[in-house]
Amino acid sequence: MKRFFASPAHRGNFWRGLAARAAIVVFALGSVCSSANAVETQVYDIKTRTWVDYDRTKAYQFYVKNKQVPEPFRRQLVKFRTAEEPGTIIIDGNQHFLYLVQPNQQAIRYGIGVGREGFGWAGIVRVGRTAEWPTWTPPAEMVARDPNARKWASGQPGGPDNPLGARALYLYEGDQDTIYRIHGTPEPWTIGLSVSSGCIRMNNDDVTDLHSRVKVGAKVIVLMQGAALYKGV
Amino acid sequence: MAGKLRSSSAMALAAIAFATLSGSVHAADLVIAMPNWSSGQATANILKVALKEKFAIEADAIEMGTLIAFTGLNAGKVDIHPEVWLPNLDSLVKRYVTDASTVALSPIGVPAWQGICATRSAAEKYGVRDVADLSDASKTAALDTDGDGRGEMWIGAQTWSSTPIERVRANSYGYAETMTLLEMAEDVGMAAVDAAQATDQPLVFACYAPHAVFKLHDIVRLTEPPYDPAKWNIVLPSEDPAWLSKSTATVGWDAAHYHIAYATSLRVRHPDIAKFLDRVKFDPEEAIAMSYALQVERQDPYEFAKRWFAENSARVDAWVKP
Repeated sequence: MKRFFASPAHRGNFWRGLAARAAIVVFALGSVCSSANAVETQVYDIKTRTWVDYDRTKAYQFYVKNKQVPEPFRRQLVKFRTAEEPGTIIIDGNQHFLYLVQPNQQAIRYGIGVGREGFGWAGIVRVGRTAEWPTWTPPAEMVARDPNARKWASGQPGGPDNPLGARALYLYEGDQDTIYRIHGTPEPWTIGLSVSSGCIRMNNDDVTDLHSRVKVGAKVIVLMQGAALYKGV
Repeated sequence: MAGKLRSSSAMALAAIAFATLSGSVHAADLVIAMPNWSSGQATANILKVALKEKFAIEADAIEMGTLIAFTGLNAGKVDIHPEVWLPNLDSLVKRYVTDASTVALSPIGVPAWQGICATRSAAEKYGVRDVADLSDASKTAALDTDGDGRGEMWIGAQTWSSTPIERVRANSYGYAETMTLLEMAEDVGMAAVDAAQATDQPLVFACYAPHAVFKLHDIVRLTEPPYDPAKWNIVLPSEDPAWLSKSTATVGWDAAHYHIAYATSLRVRHPDIAKFLDRVKFDPEEAIAMSYALQVERQDPYEFAKRWFAENSARVDAWVKP
């Protein structure tokens, strides 16, 4: 574990590196909320002071060995001073954290997985609706390209193998669905990585917990960090 | 405070407020234009409480934008505006205060500041203390969040009049080469500060004071050369499509102040109140505390004002005396 995760004093470099060194092949724009794809990520090893490869294989091996994601990505109550109201969600794609603001200058922090393209944008949206064990419908271009997706062209029912996992929070701008979601995943080891193409992934326990706490209408702030978020700025 | 920056949003609010103002009947004796930012709301309510307690005058604090507030002051529909930012609103002041003489400004202003801020981590761990440090790639590498070797910094909302000027400053100082400049709503910019502080990340961003962020977080203001009008040549985007290449600014912002404004007719209708408004004085730290109380602690503005009034009665007495 130490090999991949720096001490708190170095965490800044580590977390930034985790996002910065990732080089993800993503699906075409529009195929949001698809499942993970190829990844080449590095993390900073403070012992050797070098960047070491950290890919899906290593993340998977860590998960199998430890039965959970690394400690920073586990759900925890943290100090979080903000002017935002309790109930607000703040997504820091760069550091792979989602904060749910709580009273008394605290927040519940969850680990998330994001796309290398981040959300593709930053800004303020809201939770427009939520769903339990949501149906996943692959985008048309994925159906055209991927035989495995083709069989779900009319929608994959919710369940343990569904890419959207146990819960989905649909993000709206005004009354319009942005097509972005916060959702669960059947691949919890990908939390902390940048390996999907647009949505925010959480492990199923965490997204279920978040779903139980969030009200429809909650404000969601997507921060600017992350490479793609700067495009066009 | 944001009024100095948000000219376009003020216009939108103005339209809404105008409809509200025109369509309702006010039993109150006076109308206070209440801004949509926290220190302005606190001040509006402090004035409301003081008018009631010291002058037995009922005042309505009605939220409206700056433009409609000035129009209302000019037309006799509004009596007081608690925060008029100068030099940002110089054009309105010229029209209504200097030329039409229908609006008066209190001679006492609260000094305001704007510039570039850093988290304590950015200043102390990474040595970003002066705007010149933003041109030092060895320092700004710590501010890089996307792996391109350049740091990132929020320079304001796209709608703010200050944002293009921050872009000019970045070009002129040279740190546009080492930093990627981000424009986004203020809540996003401030939440990024929250997240950076929660994880001890270095962060640099455009900022202004009074603002609650200075009480919420340990923030360092970057030093820079003082304002010099000879080195401040700004062409606004509204004036010329080539504004960016034609502008230079290699110094800090000019000092700003905000003042209470009131309808000049108040000097006849309520000379005691006009005199009182000319004496009201807040300091910047107090304005930060007001912002924090309303914006972070979410205190009700009127309840906050009543407490403030009770705790500062001696000061208010000094402002009220004939």
